[in-house]
Amino acid sequence: MTVTLGKRCIAEAVGTFILVFFGAGAAVVTLMLASGTTPSTPFNIGIGALGGLGDWLAIGLAFGIAITGSIYAFGRISGCHINPAVTIALFATRRFPALDTGAYVVAQFIGAAAASLLFAWAVGPDAVTIGGLGATTPFPGIGYLQAIVIETIGTFLLMFVIMGAAVDERATPGFSGLAVGLAVAGIITTTGNLTGASLNPARTFGPYLGDWLLGGSNLWTFFPIYIIGPIVGAVVAAFLYDYLSGE
Amino acid sequence: MKCYYCALEGKESEAVAICIVCGMGLCMDHAIRKDIDLWEGGYPLPSKRVKAPLPRILCPECYAALYEKGK
Repeated sequence: MTVTLGKRCIAEAVGTFILVFFGAGAAVVTLMLASGTTPSTPFNIGIGALGGLGDWLAIGLAFGIAITGSIYAFGRISGCHINPAVTIALFATRRFPALDTGAYVVAQFIGAAAASLLFAWAVGPDAVTIGGLGATTPFPGIGYLQAIVIETIGTFLLMFVIMGAAVDERATPGFSGLAVGLAVAGIITTTGNLTGASLNPARTFGPYLGDWLLGGSNLWTFFPIYIIGPIVGAVVAAFLYDYLSGE
Repeated sequence: MKCYYCALEGKESEAVAICIVCGMGLCMDHAIRKDIDLWEGGYPLPSKRVKAPLPRILCPECYAALYEKGK
């Protein structure tokens, strides 16, 4: 017997809220800090202007620490997926029921949207006009298909770590939250300046919705990148882990 | 083994259980059963409560120390 689906959905919404508020919020604050500086290269949109790759490490750690905290807080209640790609991968490998999968995904999107809208209200218009609410888009020189592949590979690593550090019954208990948080931080450090390193459709949905509603950019044409890439990466990782770890 | 509490009252009764904390022998009148719910699983799947709880016997003093703090 588990906690009721309603309570688990609330946990998923709150966990995703924390992820987007602190993670995407860190990207917004970095862009606001770098506002007015002259980018050193066309590849630089502001994040990296002050600390180079260290800017991305800081953003990655903001995401990673928020995720680690959420996992230890909500992991026993809902499983703390806080990512539709993870939920769908667990469903695809028959670890998670279909009804719960749909409810979790809706809750994650609601939590992400609430985080972006509340962040915009708390920080003010600059969060939208300068920070874009931390929305993810392909960076200069990165094409649509390339972005999908990068998001796929990034989420593949994330899901592989979840499988090895948490799903596998042989994993060392208690360390999965740290392992997953650090993996996310590492992935964002490397791929942040390529695609924004979403790894999570809900994480991209929240800022997109906030930007769209609050007079920022309309970025919905890029949304399929952050749906297809993460879901494909997570599902492939889950099936491959099951194949590799079986006798 | 005899019941410790009954012995204190000058009676003699056979112990049917032992307090898991202090090891006192306890008769049916003095044994307190305090079952513990067991949960399995956890991140990234919700924890599930195992149907059968874990039986646990305590003496009145250990029960009071563990569950009646501040009362």
